[in-house]
Amino acid sequence: MTRKYELVYIFDSTLEEPQVNERLERFHSLIKTPETAEPVTSASHWGKRTLAYPIKGKETGYYVVEQFDASPDVLSEFERALKLDEAVLRYLLVLNEGLPPVGVTAEPAAETPAQPESKPESKEAAPQGAEEGQS
Amino acid sequence: MRRPRKSCPVCEMGVRQVDYKDERTLYRFLTERGKIIPSRLSGMCARHQRQLAQAIKRARHLALVPYVRGRSR
Repeated sequence: MTRKYELVYIFDSTLEEPQVNERLERFHSLIKTPETAEPVTSASHWGKRTLAYPIKGKETGYYVVEQFDASPDVLSEFERALKLDEAVLRYLLVLNEGLPPVGVTAEPAAETPAQPESKPESKEAAPQGAEEGQS
Repeated sequence: MRRPRKSCPVCEMGVRQVDYKDERTLYRFLTERGKIIPSRLSGMCARHQRQLAQAIKRARHLALVPYVRGRSR
């Protein structure tokens, strides 16, 4: 069974784009399984950004956001690789259930119904417009 | 004497799910020291306040938003 995840990497900003891609390539090979030949559904490079506070003595980082499908049992090995790689200053791996696909949601476009989700336990399974009563 | 309930700013924006990657919006709900503004002051509905708190904590982890703002380094 696969689930949708979202992952944000913060790479060392001394790395150039090809080196980042090379690393991404390597990480992707770890989440590949026979059922998900092409795990990454979308990726966006934010590029170099100033960090809100220094991480490992660095003031800037190279951000990459990815959505991918993977089965939960390959993730422990995958996360281990992320933690071991010195070039990854930090990462965030979260379940991506019902979140709009990419980027900015602060616009009315986010009103569109949540992505079709087979998981009934998803918190977005609540009927559309449920929040009107609470506003 | 009860004031009428303020309407939730996030509901008004028409957003269903608060996004932790959108730090410009998150900043609106942080004090100048970087604390999360309580819903009692912002008028946020309970559902969005919970989502917002989660989103801010994720954004802090990713250094999009500081844990403490205005501290001299």
